[in-house]
Amino acid sequence: MDLVLNDDQQLIAETAADFLAEVCDSRAMRAAADSADGFDRALWRRIGEMGWCGVQASEHEGGLGLGWVELALLQEQLGRRLACVPYFDSVALAASLLRRVGTNGAGLLAEATAGTAVVVVALEATDGVARQLADGGWRLDGCWPQVPAAGWADHLLLCARDANEAPVLLATATARVRIRPLHTIDATRRSAELHADGLTLPADACLSRGAALEPALQGARDLAAIALAAEQLGVAQQCLDLTLAHTAQRVQFGQAIAGFQAVKHRCAQMLVMIEAARSAVYGAAAVADTDPDPATLAFHATQALCAATEAAQFGAQEAIQLHGGVGFTWEYDVQLYFKRAQAASVRLGALSRWRERIAAQLLDSLP
Amino acid sequence: MNLVESREEGEFRAQVQAWMREHLRGDFEPLRGCHGPGTPGFDVALAKRWEQTLASAGWVGIGWPREVGGTDLPLGRQIIFHEEYVRGGGPGRLGHIGEQLLAPTLIDHGTPEQKARFLPGIRAGTEYWAQGYSEPGAGSDLANVRTRARRDAASDEWLIDGQKVWTSWAQESDWIFVLARSEEGSVRHQGLTLLLVPLHQPGIEIRPIRQMTGSAEFNEVFFDGARTEGSLHLGAPGQGWKVAMALLGYERGVSTLGQQAQFRHELDLVIAAARANGAARDPVLRQRIAEAAMGLATLRFHALRVLGAAAGAMPREAWTAKYAWSNWRRDLGRLAIDVLGAAGDVVNGDADRARLQQLWLGSRADTIYAGTNEIQLNLIAERALGMPR
Repeated sequence: MDLVLNDDQQLIAETAADFLAEVCDSRAMRAAADSADGFDRALWRRIGEMGWCGVQASEHEGGLGLGWVELALLQEQLGRRLACVPYFDSVALAASLLRRVGTNGAGLLAEATAGTAVVVVALEATDGVARQLADGGWRLDGCWPQVPAAGWADHLLLCARDANEAPVLLATATARVRIRPLHTIDATRRSAELHADGLTLPADACLSRGAALEPALQGARDLAAIALAAEQLGVAQQCLDLTLAHTAQRVQFGQAIAGFQAVKHRCAQMLVMIEAARSAVYGAAAVADTDPDPATLAFHATQALCAATEAAQFGAQEAIQLHGGVGFTWEYDVQLYFKRAQAASVRLGALSRWRERIAAQLLDSLP
Repeated sequence: MNLVESREEGEFRAQVQAWMREHLRGDFEPLRGCHGPGTPGFDVALAKRWEQTLASAGWVGIGWPREVGGTDLPLGRQIIFHEEYVRGGGPGRLGHIGEQLLAPTLIDHGTPEQKARFLPGIRAGTEYWAQGYSEPGAGSDLANVRTRARRDAASDEWLIDGQKVWTSWAQESDWIFVLARSEEGSVRHQGLTLLLVPLHQPGIEIRPIRQMTGSAEFNEVFFDGARTEGSLHLGAPGQGWKVAMALLGYERGVSTLGQQAQFRHELDLVIAAARANGAARDPVLRQRIAEAAMGLATLRFHALRVLGAAAGAMPREAWTAKYAWSNWRRDLGRLAIDVLGAAGDVVNGDADRARLQQLWLGSRADTIYAGTNEIQLNLIAERALGMPR
């Protein structure tokens, strides 16, 4: 038993870090975030060409046949650079869901893992009603008020309820849904509001429904949480790296402020949380690769998400503080990490709900 | 990276479980789950017999090389042993300081004579060791050691004068390793020697210190012309600092995973108390209990990262481990007393409640001994992050 990256995993992480340092530096990331739809399509194309979208998919699915550890390593580096691409949304979340539903999703899964299409899941509808038609097709009405990366998607997976309040998952081309882009504080990850007004879909648009869909959704969210945690880990790491660089060259009272104990202790606390988060993320990813039972997956996914979110939020907050006045400016990048850390912290729902699920595991089952 | 236990490892785990079930019973029953000396009712004579029972089954020195009497088990099995030991209710190890701290240092830095003389006693559970580092004026600033050692030419012995403090379990030990200033006029890290000194002699007085928990596992140890043989310096005279630091490095050994099994037991007690008294329905306490359980799982993953690192390497994550576990456990102590509520203030003879009260109070020491939080943060900043000293 050990949790040390092997040589191949080390190489994947280093290669990804070098690649993104080159093509997704601060200037490139800001240019993408400032563009009309905020999507770095050039980067996304190259990510697809390198096979990153299929890193964890089996060779049978056309992927590289590696695991969640490798996916987490890539996601961590993407988080570190705030890459404006839907890797989390399409590869970690949508593909995981597609893998857990019926064969109707196989075509979309192939596209998502090949990186040829962006697939986005719209989880939370304020009012999504799917009525089955006489020919077996579906008529969909509803609003999904805030769906990250939806504006970048080629295909959407819409969660709705049928007439009996049972969940239904319907796939549609994005073009068929009315999309209103939202102005988001985190400019590196745009969201959109989706509307379906009497949208008619064929019978095979329904990928899953009823009792089978709930565990599929839960499992996909849990797996995706590990990737989201990895992304937050990258955010936290970059906050520390930026802060170390800044405090090493910022001189006050005749010396670099990195020499002051108040500054050192704050950076050390950032590292404590980062390394805890790294252990939680790598551990959870390694667990995910062992085909765990749902409760075990839920526990470790929550563990990783909580640890990494805490590291990212603390790291971003302290990075601003330790940068001093310039940390509060638009020009310096730390504010972008601060905004991402917050947006990502609620990407899959409030952490208090995740923790409550674990509390229920620990406290409510029969002893 | 590998989290899956092999079939052989699974069999080994079952073997340890069976051994614990067979042996930790009968006369040894009172030791079950006892933290160690200082725990109310801890029977030291019985604990020493238990150590000898472990030793005769080959469970002492499982990480040592074979040529010095160890069993040289692979890391995975050492981890399994420590986990199942605690899970099986195994008491705090009286032999810990000898087996886990001194022995690895002896193996790396001792003379052949020293190894031949001391390792068998540790291995057999017949000789117990205490650690003489801290002094009233040398706590976080350990290099400020003032205890003096000088060579008596006539008797070819070391003569030691001074005082050590916070010496765990000295009252139950046979020997102490003492960091002393052996070169007159030397300062800081220079001129120190690590000496192996018998505790039972007229020149040594041991006075227990009553702690905020009410028990007394720490001591003051006074040296007034105490003696040890001239050959009993570990490492070269004057090089004591280097050896003393190497010894501390062994503290992050595989036994930390056994320690975590103990934490798991404590967390289970907190959970049981919360279910029993209704605290498990409090939404805020539920969040904290979930956090505690997940935090412990993170400590385990963290240890698996640190232990898997190449021997001798000190990656970043190794520097953060002590700060992480000690603060986790201190938080667990607070959670424990909060779960007990008002009843937490009342001593009523209930063993589980007493355990949680002890956890709350005792965990305040975790962020002080073996490098305070503040020293840990200095080390992390300077050694792991390379920030200026």
